[in-house]
Amino acid sequence: MKRLSLIFTQTANSSGRATNPTIPLGCRTNPPGAASGFTTQGVTVETAQPHAGVHIENVSKSFGPDGARTLVLNQVSLSIKMGEFVSVIGPSGCGKSTLLKTVAGLIDADSGTVMVDGMTVKAATKNKMIGLVPQSPALLPWRTVLDNVRLPMTVNPKANANRNLRDPREILESFGLGAALDKYPGQLSGGMQQRVAIARAFVFDPSVLLMDEPFSALDEMNRDAQRLGLLDFWQSNRKAVMFVTHSVPEAIMLSDRIVVMGAHPGHIAEIIDVPLPRPRTIDVYATDEFRDLEGQVRGTLREVMGQKSA
Amino acid sequence: MSTTDTSALAVQAATSATGRRFSPLASAKFKQNLRWSNWAPAVITFVIAAALWQITAIANPYVIPTIDQVWVSLINDADTYWANMLVTGLEVLVGASSGIIAGFILAIIMAEFQVMERAVMPLVVVVMVTPIVAIAPALVVAFGFGMTPKFIVTALVVFFPMLVNSLAGLRDVDDRALDVMKTLHASRWEIFRDLRFTGSMPYVFAGLRIALPLAIVGAAVAEFVAAGQQAGLGSLVTIAAAQANLPVTWASITLLCFMGVVLISLLALVRKRVLWWSDGAAVGR
Repeated sequence: MKRLSLIFTQTANSSGRATNPTIPLGCRTNPPGAASGFTTQGVTVETAQPHAGVHIENVSKSFGPDGARTLVLNQVSLSIKMGEFVSVIGPSGCGKSTLLKTVAGLIDADSGTVMVDGMTVKAATKNKMIGLVPQSPALLPWRTVLDNVRLPMTVNPKANANRNLRDPREILESFGLGAALDKYPGQLSGGMQQRVAIARAFVFDPSVLLMDEPFSALDEMNRDAQRLGLLDFWQSNRKAVMFVTHSVPEAIMLSDRIVVMGAHPGHIAEIIDVPLPRPRTIDVYATDEFRDLEGQVRGTLREVMGQKSA
Repeated sequence: MSTTDTSALAVQAATSATGRRFSPLASAKFKQNLRWSNWAPAVITFVIAAALWQITAIANPYVIPTIDQVWVSLINDADTYWANMLVTGLEVLVGASSGIIAGFILAIIMAEFQVMERAVMPLVVVVMVTPIVAIAPALVVAFGFGMTPKFIVTALVVFFPMLVNSLAGLRDVDDRALDVMKTLHASRWEIFRDLRFTGSMPYVFAGLRIALPLAIVGAAVAEFVAAGQQAGLGSLVTIAAAQANLPVTWASITLLCFMGVVLISLLALVRKRVLWWSDGAAVGR
């Protein structure tokens, strides 16, 4: 618990970057040695900081019956540092959701390691350090909006000690849901429901947020509003974010880096930096940099898809 | 099937339950329920059925009684019918509630421990494919002509649909909500408390809707085979039929039917209160 409190009090720190050197392309250069040293599982208070964020190393996963197993993830390595927003994009079947579920502790990798703030995923979930926003809001229809957001606090209360729990009312108000506190999910629009789901993931102050295409079910105009809302909130509550998406503009708009994955088997094809200044507004879409990046990401995606058919 | 079959009770429930939470919609919904196109078709069907019955009864006086003969019997012997209905009602109440509770509890155990399903389900299926009509006389031999065999038969009949439906409901949780719970390291108890229990209710109510009418069947069958015991509407039916007393036979049948309607209406009322959050169309209608 002591270790936890130290991790939670630290802020986004650019010197704490620990990008994995096995990432082949498009990666920013690191100070040498930054990536070494997180091979041990027991992390002490002193070394916690460089381990902040998510570290995925050589993760492989296959599904299916023995003899006919399909490799879904092949030696995937990726690091997301504290306060960094990373999108994962790729064609269907590239294993991006599987990767997210592996980090969430919902799927066990066949080989490789996943560490969250220097802890195994299991220990991280035990300490409630991972916030998950699933593809559908997955709210409990019999609970009010407020009680839905309270849910993570009442579950696994042992992990509540020494943490900076947020006021659910306050967080919902900042999400523009102040008038909906006592409503039921069935009375809200899809966009509002998804915002409640995001509030539910933020409320217990996890260090890592995992989002699995949270806006994919919304219409385009609504989606833009939700993206900006998310960015706005994240700007003042920097978490390590892994954001799985199908949308190129969405990935560029939100991210510091975009991980392009290829399929058969799922692998990281390229990691593209998004050097657009923050805070970002809707005007970003109109900039040349945005268009260049969009061309770059789409080009990489085309390449990835081409490999598949070749 | 929504409100037309459950009469005014359901209409009342709909307005009070929704009125509490979605007040602007309540009065509109109430008006909608009162629209003649909602209730008139069912009423017309009943009137036609009654007319056909009456014509047939007048033409065949030794096959079925006329409606007014049944009515006269009900009025004249109201005390007898009431006493017998109380007996059958008690059997249904005790038998059904124990069967419901047992079925739900076993479903929880099976949902939480798959081994238990593998261990116990085959036995449950074996018992359930055995015709209840065949088990009933054996139970009378074992437990005598008192209430016990009737409770057991009723509970047995109710048990299976409750078990199967509750089990399906406890298993059918929103996978994504379950994912959220798992990343929070929710304990099994917390997942049950926050997700499975309430989430299973649409299925539980679907099970109840099958089970409650069956409970009346169970009680009546148990009374049929427990010859000599002159209590309960089921006994009344067999005795009156043996004497070819058509009005009494059909008056008893009518009361059994009435009990079923009351049970189903009560269920619809409770369902509206408990399952206001559930899509009416989804399950359990």
